[in-house]
Amino acid sequence: MSQPTGVIHDIGYRHYDGPRLGRGAGAVALWVYSLRGTFGLGRTFKSKIMPFLLFGAMMLPTVVSIAIMALLKQEPMSYTDYAVFMQPIIAIFLAAQSPVLVAPDLRHKVIPLYLSRPVTIVDYIGAKLAAMIAALLILLVVPLTVQFVGEMLIDLPMPLHTHEYLAALGGSVLNAVLLASIGLALASFTPRRGLGVASVIAFYMFTLAASAVLTGVLESEGHRDAASWSILLNPFFLVNAVQANLFGTQPTEGLPFPSGAGPALILLAVVALALTGLYARYRKALAA
Amino acid sequence: MNTVVASITYRAMLGRKRVWLLALLPIALIAFALLFRFIGGGDESVAVELMKTFAIGTMLPLLGLIAGTGVIAPEIEDGTIIHLMSKPISRPVIAFTKYVVAASLMLGFSVIPTYVAAYILIGTESGIAAGFALGALFAGIAYAAVFFLLGVVSRHAVTIGVIYALVWEGLIGGYVPGARRFSIQQWAQSIADQVTTSAFLKSEVALSFAVPAMAIVVVGSVVWAGQRLRVLSLTGDE
Repeated sequence: MSQPTGVIHDIGYRHYDGPRLGRGAGAVALWVYSLRGTFGLGRTFKSKIMPFLLFGAMMLPTVVSIAIMALLKQEPMSYTDYAVFMQPIIAIFLAAQSPVLVAPDLRHKVIPLYLSRPVTIVDYIGAKLAAMIAALLILLVVPLTVQFVGEMLIDLPMPLHTHEYLAALGGSVLNAVLLASIGLALASFTPRRGLGVASVIAFYMFTLAASAVLTGVLESEGHRDAASWSILLNPFFLVNAVQANLFGTQPTEGLPFPSGAGPALILLAVVALALTGLYARYRKALAA
Repeated sequence: MNTVVASITYRAMLGRKRVWLLALLPIALIAFALLFRFIGGGDESVAVELMKTFAIGTMLPLLGLIAGTGVIAPEIEDGTIIHLMSKPISRPVIAFTKYVVAASLMLGFSVIPTYVAAYILIGTESGIAAGFALGALFAGIAYAAVFFLLGVVSRHAVTIGVIYALVWEGLIGGYVPGARRFSIQQWAQSIADQVTTSAFLKSEVALSFAVPAMAIVVVGSVVWAGQRLRVLSLTGDE
């Protein structure tokens, strides 16, 4: 009666003896995969439409500006104001693509599967964040660079805007870091894509309107100092102010930004807050 | 109308954290009204500016987006709509019920706060509070209908809705006067302009265009959404 009833058969599974790439390679692979995901590469055609449409919209002013330089020999569009000018498009890209990075993994509860590999939670968040930063940089830097190359080739009867171009590149990095941390932190709070898009865009539209209304009213009431600070509520104006103070460029027309290190400190504080929120969110996702 | 579907939808929209997405903007609007009142900016131009930029220009489309798509799109996204659609309830009735829920949320979270905020700022002067509340009511109903239809038709409903609100109404409407005729925001302003006597509000679209357009948009969207729901196929996400 007490004879063994189960037998383990050798069906020929083999061990993997090759090299193992480890933590860094895992994080880089995740970064590349996420960056491709933000533009819908490797996904269905439908998920490519939106990012490429928005990228096309970002290129539009550049094309027009090059045409104006070539045909009318006039000044190119301002490099340093480009992000402020195109802010709705950038915000829509951020809102539409942030949930693409974070929502599916949260919804299908697969983060423990990532962590069963050498990748840690900091690597995971870092890779997602770096992917969003890189995607935003592509969105911002490509049009600026194309216009700069155009300006060099057209040979206008005025000096090149090299300093403005370089300052705009610095501003693009600041924009990308700030927006990516806020976007991912907000989008990670819900596992549903639609709600993620809504919360990121709600944040942007709220800051846009709040900064406009507050500044307008405070200025008309004579509180000039408070008005110049309240305009920084809008993240694009905040970056523009830091850019102007840091690189000594002209701020966007008609905006009286506060000078000194204040805006830069606000920017750092906002990024730190967003990253803390993001980290706390994933700690909670793991505990649940 | 189906009360069970309505109560489930209310619970999905207002349960736990979800309600904050709807509540934060009206709270901010009222906070701004209090702040401006406090610093002594309680005059007509400030009130009209706050109402136009914040209440009608930002809060209304955003809440319309969240309420209109929120009553149906998440359920389609994660496939749980199948449980609702397999019940012996006519799908146009499901669509109509969910739309009524969205419209009622607009009333609670946008029309009433709009009135309260304007009242805090200037009381009933020049009929600004009543005018903007009425405009918000009609525009809220229209926004909810359009975004509800989008939520049924497309998986990228929120993104498309945002592009409409920000790029069409905001950017293109700012430069191309013709585009303003097809902007729900402008229709709201022309209704508000009818009621208020304030000189600070100038509407761009005639009321004789805005009201029929609104009616067509609402009825058309809800009927079309009901028809779309009858032939909805659930396919995998991406």
